[in-house]
Amino acid sequence: MAIKSRDRIRAKLQDGNTVVRILLAHPMHTGRGKNEQDELIPAEFIQDIRCWRNDDQVLTIKCGTATSRNPYFAFQLTGGEAGDVIRLRWVDNIGAKGTAETTVV
Amino acid sequence: MTEKFDEYRRTLIKQSISASTLALVAASGLVIPRVLLAHWPQDAFNAETLEDAILTFLGEAEEVNEEAIQFTIGSPPTYAVNGATVPVEISSSLQNIQRVALLVEKNPFPLAMALEPTSAVSFPFKTMLKVAEDSEIIAMVRADDKLYRTSRYVEIDIGGCA
Repeated sequence: MAIKSRDRIRAKLQDGNTVVRILLAHPMHTGRGKNEQDELIPAEFIQDIRCWRNDDQVLTIKCGTATSRNPYFAFQLTGGEAGDVIRLRWVDNIGAKGTAETTVV
Repeated sequence: MTEKFDEYRRTLIKQSISASTLALVAASGLVIPRVLLAHWPQDAFNAETLEDAILTFLGEAEEVNEEAIQFTIGSPPTYAVNGATVPVEISSSLQNIQRVALLVEKNPFPLAMALEPTSAVSFPFKTMLKVAEDSEIIAMVRADDKLYRTSRYVEIDIGGCA
């Protein structure tokens, strides 16, 4: 199970754009990996990530099993100013979910 | 006396309101993932061939093989030591991008990641993928009802168990 507080999100202004970096804490089991006892680890991976800036949804990311463990994303938002709230929400295939929030600096 | 009673009544009301809100939140928490899951394009992610995945997620459109997308993969480019974390960076000068798909040809399920950006998102977009073995990695962008396709070959030292 993912621990909520370990999801990290940073946003800062750079040349007039907002640079957002996200690091989620999630094992991202594909369902094909095995543990030490040679048993299959059931699939557990993030499927859907949504990002908001203030109240506008700006990006939807759908992930398959091929997203790396502890998924990392970085992208830019046009414009923006200090104090904007960047909010993120993820859901995985077994229904666990998490949120992360930050303000632009 | 009545004041005290009022106060008690108030806290009682407050508590019952917060309790019912909590119940609502819990109920909605059970409902939300199912709603979101319905939006996950299962057919596209479970497609086992490249063509199927592309067709299911991006739809049919005129395909343009163009240099409008810049795409780097691996560090250093075209080579990755660990297939479990292969850095991918995609940038594009295109406008009106509707969808972006990242596909790994040799993975059991080629579609690795799918983005639906709005006009507020500007590229580059960076992320990390799992790549099972040496493979062609393809980035496809759907913009203005055209498909733009670029691909890079990446060599993997240790398979990523994708």
